[in-house]
Amino acid sequence: MRYLPSSPVEDQALLDAIGVPDAEALLRGIPEPLRLRRELELPLQSSEQEVAGQMLAMANRNTRFCAQFLGAGAYDHFVPSAIDALISRQEWFTAYTPYQPEISQGTLQHLFEYQTLICDLTGLEVTNASLYDGGTSCVEAALMAVRVAKKRHTVLVSRGLHPLYRDVLRTNFAPHAELNLVEVGLKGGVTDLADLTAKLNGDVAAVLVGYPNFLGAVEDLAALAGPIHAAGALLVSVTQEAFAFGWLEAPGRVDADMACGEAMSLGNKPNFGGPFLGFLAGKDAHKRELPGRVVGQAKDLQDRTGYVLTLTAREQHIRRDKATSNICSNQGLVTLRANIFMQLAGPEGLKGLAAQNAAKAQYLRQRLLELPEMEAVDDQPFFNEFVLRYRGDYDFLEAACLQESLLPGLDLGRYYAEYQGCILWCATELHSRSMIDSLVATLARVPATV
Amino acid sequence: MFLRQREPLIFERSVPGKRGMDLPRLDVPEARDTRPAHLQRSGFDALPELSEVDVIRHFTRLSKWNYGVDDGIYPLGSCTMKHNPRLNEKVALLPGFTDSHPMAPDALVQGNLELVHTLQEWLKEITGLPGVTLQPSAGAAGELTGVMLIRAYHVSRGAKRRVILIPDSGHGTNPATAAMAGYDVVELPSQPDGTISFADVTDPTSGKVRKGLLSLVAELGPEIAGAMITNPNTVGVFEYRFKEIADLLHSIGALVYMDGANMNALIGVARPGDFGVDVMHLNLHKTFSTPHGGGGPGAGPVCCAEKLRPFLPVPVVVRETKEVGEGEVRVPTYRWDWDRPESIGKVHTFFGNFGILVRALTYCLSHGSDGLKAATLRAIVNANYIRVRLQGAYALHIDSPSLHEVVFSDTLQAKREVHTLDIAKRLIDHGYHPPTIYFPLIVPGALMIEPTESEDKFELDAFCDTMLTIAREAEEIPEALHHAPILAPLRRLDETTAARKPVLRWQKPVPVQA
Repeated sequence: MRYLPSSPVEDQALLDAIGVPDAEALLRGIPEPLRLRRELELPLQSSEQEVAGQMLAMANRNTRFCAQFLGAGAYDHFVPSAIDALISRQEWFTAYTPYQPEISQGTLQHLFEYQTLICDLTGLEVTNASLYDGGTSCVEAALMAVRVAKKRHTVLVSRGLHPLYRDVLRTNFAPHAELNLVEVGLKGGVTDLADLTAKLNGDVAAVLVGYPNFLGAVEDLAALAGPIHAAGALLVSVTQEAFAFGWLEAPGRVDADMACGEAMSLGNKPNFGGPFLGFLAGKDAHKRELPGRVVGQAKDLQDRTGYVLTLTAREQHIRRDKATSNICSNQGLVTLRANIFMQLAGPEGLKGLAAQNAAKAQYLRQRLLELPEMEAVDDQPFFNEFVLRYRGDYDFLEAACLQESLLPGLDLGRYYAEYQGCILWCATELHSRSMIDSLVATLARVPATV
Repeated sequence: MFLRQREPLIFERSVPGKRGMDLPRLDVPEARDTRPAHLQRSGFDALPELSEVDVIRHFTRLSKWNYGVDDGIYPLGSCTMKHNPRLNEKVALLPGFTDSHPMAPDALVQGNLELVHTLQEWLKEITGLPGVTLQPSAGAAGELTGVMLIRAYHVSRGAKRRVILIPDSGHGTNPATAAMAGYDVVELPSQPDGTISFADVTDPTSGKVRKGLLSLVAELGPEIAGAMITNPNTVGVFEYRFKEIADLLHSIGALVYMDGANMNALIGVARPGDFGVDVMHLNLHKTFSTPHGGGGPGAGPVCCAEKLRPFLPVPVVVRETKEVGEGEVRVPTYRWDWDRPESIGKVHTFFGNFGILVRALTYCLSHGSDGLKAATLRAIVNANYIRVRLQGAYALHIDSPSLHEVVFSDTLQAKREVHTLDIAKRLIDHGYHPPTIYFPLIVPGALMIEPTESEDKFELDAFCDTMLTIAREAEEIPEALHHAPILAPLRRLDETTAARKPVLRWQKPVPVQA
């Protein structure tokens, strides 16, 4: 086995030093009846060549596309070559959580820079070293808001939030009989202000709103903040497409108290949904209620600046069952990808890429609307995703697209009964004009019936 | 060893007009502005302007202040810092995997579903438990999923149970998880050999009596939902009465959760499903060699007994074989099953940290059943070799047989006012990453060493020689050790002030008014 240091001579020397005849003798601490008295019924070891072939065959059994017009929480963007090159350095990808700061300054300084940039993108004051993904970031944001609000037990969630984020919220709220999770309806593709106002009361700790929401619509956070703040609740902005931060004003600058969501777009591929990058930012006054790892500045004995894991009194290894969360990891390497991406892009790159995403999505929408089967819905401002009603059969449309190696938008009826027959389309900087034109040409040929 | 020069925060390197990314030519009309004026992005305060050269040098220099597993032994106990095979990284970056979309129809991601199904089959056989979900993103997420399964099981039987028992040697994530799942935590005391005490334990200093397992079961009986037990425990010792504990808990209707953080000691030699475990998590980033990435991403699959399967998170992968034609080969197809009425729901937005699952399956296929068992045995031999070599120079607070890790105490060095922190920091001067320190809490000044199977005799001897040198230094120049590290890029950092007056981000300096 190539990964194991094993030679009969050396093994014997170790066993002799320990004073046992063989390795099995060291298992004496495991009671005999609890031992496995057979070999595992699994294939035997294989060479690197064989395993590489097996894994490549598996990867090849996924269908590849010339273009994907599907977003819905996982976005296909260009990834600069520097990212894979840098994260492949063993100092980055093999290192552990930076518990020993003097030997982990690389990871710690990176995370301090990453935190700075997440605060910059969201327009808020504090953040942590990341969370698992968009869905779990909503859970942590909601629970943090409940801690901050004190003695309020209800969290309102806009129906415009990603349906799978809402599923993750439901799972995590289920064990807490004392907490309520209540949905706020949509009107015209955005959070229904009348329904929101009706549901706001003195027990509401926070309201979670998509920005942009799952349907691609830009919610007017500033307008929602008024009644939410008047009721004493916190406004939590949830962004599932981080590129939107180059197009839309930072949530913290339009009255959001917290911002959370998914930042996989910064330097990652769709990767079948993970590893992704959850983030959560808030106000300075709430920093001691943050979940997870937080990096802060420190001085060493010679007054030189360095970085350490800090505010650990919130965490599980100190507080145990009183911790702000059970999380004890972060998405380390994914934060590194995001940090490298943001530093390469800079302010002009991020704004420029966002403008290109908006332009491509607008062009896609305009071209699709030339087809007689497509019809505008809701007509809200959008970033790089939007909904159209389709008068034909989605299955035929999908089949026609796949034949041309195109992955169409999402059949929205699977998630929203009221959007039966609607499709959620996405375009990014990766979609060339000719790809979009060929999608439209393909759709023009879709038969109306069998 | 380390880069000596300082690398400033990147924000101090920003120069207006620099570009690290050239945008492609826009081949469609420019975007019309449909945003309400107040929702148009204003400026950024921190995003720096840099060239690609600046960025590559910055992250290369920063990397040189880190220690990785290719630098040498990384003896963090309970973290299983084993070799990270390069094949695993290469495979995880195959475009067939990275380009695949989580919302794509099942028929288009058959390779991914096959991978998920195959890895699940390996984990079932390894743990002896028939139910698996790969959705949890990390060990703690696995714990939470597992405890929610326990809760769903009790709720389905109409039982209200509010207590989870957790040994005082357990990881902090265990009680934090139980609380997040809505449970009260009751602590189980350890006995002197490091394992769970059945009898009440009297604290020798305070004289306080802590109730043991038997008293707690008698007292709380129907209130107990389950216990979360790490096995081998955090002292590296097998809970030799595990089956008895499980039988006792089962007899009162409670379930047994096993924290699988230390599974590197068991693969191929014992299976949790065979000794009474109902549900457990595995850490793919420990036992299955997926890289730690400076803190993550990890993956924490959960394996469970038949009675908990209905509650597993949605979706569950299903394998079906269809007859293609008369006498033809049966082709397996895979699909996600979302129709699971008793499921606890989703615990991750999509299907977990898929890229990590790719690496873990690659590890499994490379090792095979024989390689996995050989790795377990070698990890145990290595830990015991370190134990034999350092015993005497360092105190063994608990003398039970070690499996994959060994926990020393600083009691011998403490006589000279040298403590675990000093020993750890001195290791940095000698070019090593320190072991896990001050954990488990039941060992005073704990130094928890886990060498893993990746080290050969040469590496083990070099590390042990260094530990023995430090033990001598503690005798001869104890004062000097308080100053360690002196050879690292920074001296000891003041974590207390950092927490009292937290600076959590860089801010643009305010211009001084003339």
